[in-house]
Amino acid sequence: MQIKSPQLVNLLFILFFAAALPVGNMLGIVSINTISLWGRYFCFAIAALGIDLIWGFTGIMSMCQAFFFCLGGYCIGMHLLLTATAIQGQKLPDFMVWNNITSLPTFWEPFHGFVPTLLLCVVIPALIALIIGFFIFRSRIKGVYMAIITQALALGMYLLFLRNETKLGGTNGLTNFKTVLGYDLNASSVKLGLYLVSLAMLCLAYAGCRKIVESKFGKILQAIRDSESRVGYTSYRVLNYKLTVFVVAALLGGLAGMLYVPQTGIITPGRMSVTASVEMLMWVALGGRGKLKGAIIGTLLVNCLYSVCTSLFPEGWLFILGLLYVLTVLYFQKGFLGLFETMGNKIGTTLKRKPAGLNPTS
Amino acid sequence: MRNRKKIGLCLILCCAVFFSAHAATDSTRVYIGQVLHPQQEEMRSHAIQRLVALKQASSFPFLEAINNSALYVLGEKAITTGNRKSEEESFPVYELYPIHRILLNAEGKPLLLNASGLKQVEISRADRLQLIPVANWLNIFNADDQKRAMAYGQLQITADTSLLNILSGALKTETNPNVLRAGKEAYYTMLLNNTTDIKKARSLMDLLSANDGDNAIGVLTAYAKQKELPQPLRLYAQQKASSLDSHYVFLQRMQNLFSGLSLGSILILISLGLAIVYGLAGIINMAHGEFLMIGAYATYSVELLFNNVLHIQNTDWFYLAALPVSFIVAGAAGLLLERLVIRRLYTKPLESLLATWGVSLILIQLARTLFGDLTAVKLPGILSGGWQVSPHLVLPYSRLFVIVLTIVAVSVIYWVLFRTRLGMQIRAVTQNRNMSACLGIDTRRVDAITFFIGSGLAGLAGCAMTLIGNVVPDMGQTYIVDSFLVVVTGGVGKLVGTIVAGLGIGVFSKVLEAFFEAVYGKVLILLGIMIFMQFKSKGLFPDKGRSAED
Amino acid sequence: MTTRFSFPLKKAMVLLGSSLLLLTACNSNSKKGSTASTDSKDTSGNTVKIGVLHSLSGTMAISEVSLKDAVQMAVDEINASGGVLGKKIEPVIVDPASDWDLFAEKSKELLIDKKVSAVFGCWTSVSRKSVLPVFEQNNGLLFYPVQYEGEESSKNIIYSGAVPNQQLIPAADYLMSAEGGGYKRFYLLGTDYVFPRTANKILKAYLLSKGIPKENIIEEYTPFHHQDYQTIVSKIKKFAVVGKACVLSTINGDSNIPFYKEFANQGLTATTCPIMAFSVAEDELRAMDTEFLVGHLAAWNYYQSIDVPENKKFVANFKAYCAKHNLPGGSKRVTDDPICWAYTDVYLWAKAAEKAKSFDVAKVVEALHGLTFDSPAGPVKMDDKINHLEKTAMIGEIKPDGQFNVIWKSKGLIIPQPFFKLDDAKK
Repeated sequence: MQIKSPQLVNLLFILFFAAALPVGNMLGIVSINTISLWGRYFCFAIAALGIDLIWGFTGIMSMCQAFFFCLGGYCIGMHLLLTATAIQGQKLPDFMVWNNITSLPTFWEPFHGFVPTLLLCVVIPALIALIIGFFIFRSRIKGVYMAIITQALALGMYLLFLRNETKLGGTNGLTNFKTVLGYDLNASSVKLGLYLVSLAMLCLAYAGCRKIVESKFGKILQAIRDSESRVGYTSYRVLNYKLTVFVVAALLGGLAGMLYVPQTGIITPGRMSVTASVEMLMWVALGGRGKLKGAIIGTLLVNCLYSVCTSLFPEGWLFILGLLYVLTVLYFQKGFLGLFETMGNKIGTTLKRKPAGLNPTS
Repeated sequence: MRNRKKIGLCLILCCAVFFSAHAATDSTRVYIGQVLHPQQEEMRSHAIQRLVALKQASSFPFLEAINNSALYVLGEKAITTGNRKSEEESFPVYELYPIHRILLNAEGKPLLLNASGLKQVEISRADRLQLIPVANWLNIFNADDQKRAMAYGQLQITADTSLLNILSGALKTETNPNVLRAGKEAYYTMLLNNTTDIKKARSLMDLLSANDGDNAIGVLTAYAKQKELPQPLRLYAQQKASSLDSHYVFLQRMQNLFSGLSLGSILILISLGLAIVYGLAGIINMAHGEFLMIGAYATYSVELLFNNVLHIQNTDWFYLAALPVSFIVAGAAGLLLERLVIRRLYTKPLESLLATWGVSLILIQLARTLFGDLTAVKLPGILSGGWQVSPHLVLPYSRLFVIVLTIVAVSVIYWVLFRTRLGMQIRAVTQNRNMSACLGIDTRRVDAITFFIGSGLAGLAGCAMTLIGNVVPDMGQTYIVDSFLVVVTGGVGKLVGTIVAGLGIGVFSKVLEAFFEAVYGKVLILLGIMIFMQFKSKGLFPDKGRSAED
Repeated sequence: MTTRFSFPLKKAMVLLGSSLLLLTACNSNSKKGSTASTDSKDTSGNTVKIGVLHSLSGTMAISEVSLKDAVQMAVDEINASGGVLGKKIEPVIVDPASDWDLFAEKSKELLIDKKVSAVFGCWTSVSRKSVLPVFEQNNGLLFYPVQYEGEESSKNIIYSGAVPNQQLIPAADYLMSAEGGGYKRFYLLGTDYVFPRTANKILKAYLLSKGIPKENIIEEYTPFHHQDYQTIVSKIKKFAVVGKACVLSTINGDSNIPFYKEFANQGLTATTCPIMAFSVAEDELRAMDTEFLVGHLAAWNYYQSIDVPENKKFVANFKAYCAKHNLPGGSKRVTDDPICWAYTDVYLWAKAAEKAKSFDVAKVVEALHGLTFDSPAGPVKMDDKINHLEKTAMIGEIKPDGQFNVIWKSKGLIIPQPFFKLDDAKK
């Protein structure tokens, strides 16, 4: 693959997904399942963009992105469930009836309206990220400590959401959605619509992230990645920058979750397990850390592989995926994107001896 | 059909009339014969019913065998089986009537029989349920201490004073202190509930509380609640109960502390390897939990080897053999991983985290393909049961073993690190890799050895874990986040920190669990650690000096 | 490279606009295309495809792998005897990896892309709930082989596992009867998730309606993978001292071993206080030290020890199958209730398809109603109206070899009531 103009590639990418796939669907070549599958991958890609911002550009390994993703998902899920219950003429969602809850918990109330829900989907993750981030960054937790602390946070929240006492459906989560804004979620046209909205959001998120990365703000982020102490010495408030990027990443996570749930039809605590967050990191690592496009490509590729392999090699897919992770980290430190590039620039230098990768800790 | 029933009933009636003149022991013999070889099912039911009603002490072992569905016939004798240690083993057998005794072979050793060589007398559940009124205390003449103690415990709730004689008779021959305690408690309780004399009641209460039995509090509070009790007696009983209660609360706390210690030592054993490897090479090994799993499967394989290949059944030796095997196998796996993957990733903690994550996926699936999903290692006989510090504080041997194992492992690691040449080299490389290399230390070799030791320790932890839980492919994942927390809280790469943090987290979780539900306890621990990190962002024992910055 | 290129924001907006336009344009057309593609089942050629949707990795693999093996065995048997309607069955096995989202995704793939005629799968309630809308929208057919909490009845799911009135209620009745021991005090203990919660809710209401006073029923839950049962067992012990007490356990998976061990260690026995388990079957007992469990009870609709020719053949075949295909465990593998129903499901489907002379979902479901079959558990019958199976309830007593001794059977088949109401039970 010869990369002549990145712009052309971008355009091709968007054209393919925005035009070719829907047209294919109309002609009956591409099934609606494939379409909504890609729609979900796009949601993941949005969340991955957030990870790339915070990890690839700022060098902070946050292992709780899946938690923010789920927060967004749960918010929209609550709204969808409330509308579905209203349609069925019930007062309370089914799982509450089974759990002997007699009246709707207060924190469910704001989710009756569609617009407030959309707002809350991004505001809640951002707010929680602000609080957590403030305490973590204030005490100068970084590097491995940051990774482990956020991982522990994700685990704690996961355990909490598993409980029935949180009134969010426990292990079963929220499911059995019917409509969004009055449109039937199961109709192909709505699925296609959601797919296109996800794609558009991905493009927007990409554009936004690019703006951030190329701004002065983004430059400082990269400076923090390369040497945090020096940035601090030059009278920049490192805490504020880190906090901002952490909140932006959480916001993207929440947005992604919001788009993901209507397309999947279920949200459970399983989505926010420790594994889920590590997987999100793997997407970015595989695609190419520190490159926005890398995050997108990695996410799409890994998820594609995941879907294909669990069907083709139901008993051995973990071997394939595991091996891929190991090989990528070992040999293609710039991920797939780096691989494409080096192939494009002719195989001049081998990456084996002296990896020119981005090294956040050095 | 109806005719046969009638004949059966007649027979039973005849028997009953005929033997009524004889001594009760003879009728016991007859009924036992009927249970073993009944002409009819009804006859057996009736015989069991009569045996229960007769309450002959000599028939208790026989009834108990029925109760346990372990009644067999050997020749003309009714026998039952003793404790066996594994599936295939042959077990000792006991004669049930007229004397309850172990059967010996020609050489005077306990006679061992195979399960297949025994003819079982099958008694229906309906028949067995007839034993309910007496089932609770049938065992007061049992050969097994534990069962005897249980029988006494059940006896105190049956208010049947006719049993007092049997009870006092049994207590005279009792030798085991635990059983004696349970028996005395039952005896005092029955006396207390049947006395009206205030003075006698007081002394009985004193005896009860001094006896320190399992149900003393319950007995005393129940006694205090009686309606027609004189006020001073009521107060006295309440006071005795509350003083016992505070004593037990103290013991309960000790038990919690012990659970915390045992959890802490498991965490230490797992985190130790993680801490060493991180300190030396800057590697976050997400596959560390999988070395634990490898250690556990190595133990399982050794057990299989002993049972199926070497045909050494029913031995505890396999576990002793498994200890070094699990260390070496997991260590070798670690060495392999180091050679193939890790050595390219030194001092890149975050990349190593991702690569080892991939490795852990592969290892889990490998274990699943090789062993399936459902396996467990049999607990070695010597480690089953527990050390009874006091009647209310039992420390299981398996947990004690884990604690001892951890102490030994920690001591050995300390000795290696601070008393040997290798240890000095490891410490040197940990402090400054380049400088050590300049001074002629073969850092590659040191890396390899350290990784071997670190993974081996995880394997050892896996071997220890088989004593406590199942062996499943993803068993490592359960502990990995916790052990990371231990390493981080303690200060990355610091052994003292790991030990202190491991114990701290272990004890705190168990103490919190006692007050909240398990899940909330865990969430609180995580919150606590986050708050702690506000003040000590580099853990308990942070690295000092310039190398610590960036 | 990164600085060379700047993404034009305006262009993105234009793209967004155009994609929205496209969306509206697609609406009318895509409907036609999709209905045409989803409704059809691919039965052309000499094979008919079925989907197998059981987790082969992740936390649920421990239970679900056996079900996949059973389904495959049934398929092999049917194929060896000529297939269905002259076609060989071709199983499409996928791994939903204990990931509930992936269950939904895989079921879409099986139905829409692979066009399978029926799907056999799921274990947990959450996985079933996750795929249910997919099956309803795409007119698929799911055979669900595990006992569950009821409160659900979909025209696209065939529930062959027990509903509460086929498992819980008979067990409670048995324990209260004179034959079962006439127990009067009940300790309801379970793992904290939807099945135990619903099961205990039903049991509690039922016991109350039978005149058991409130203070004689205790309900308690532990988290998944709970290991330390010291405090709970001492509570049970206190509860049992008065006599006539039993435990109704919906404890799940690996928590059972420490629970039964602690139960025995603290001196409670099956005679003084039996445990009636609703989630412990032969497959779980395989890894346990049965020493602690002998004499305790379980309620299922099938046991490996059932003495009918169909079952003897089934057990022998299953062991042979596992040994032949080198599956972990080999000939030491055992069968249990969910395995039996997973196996039966395939036969039910094949029989119904033969009867309907079609693989069409609506026709197969219609043919299924009222269908009878000699399963390993004895004769069973599909209900005439709802997609649940009528079957016999049985109480088993654990034997030292990890098998069950069937000590009680319901009289005839029990008609399933997924939406269990107390009024119905009183009739």
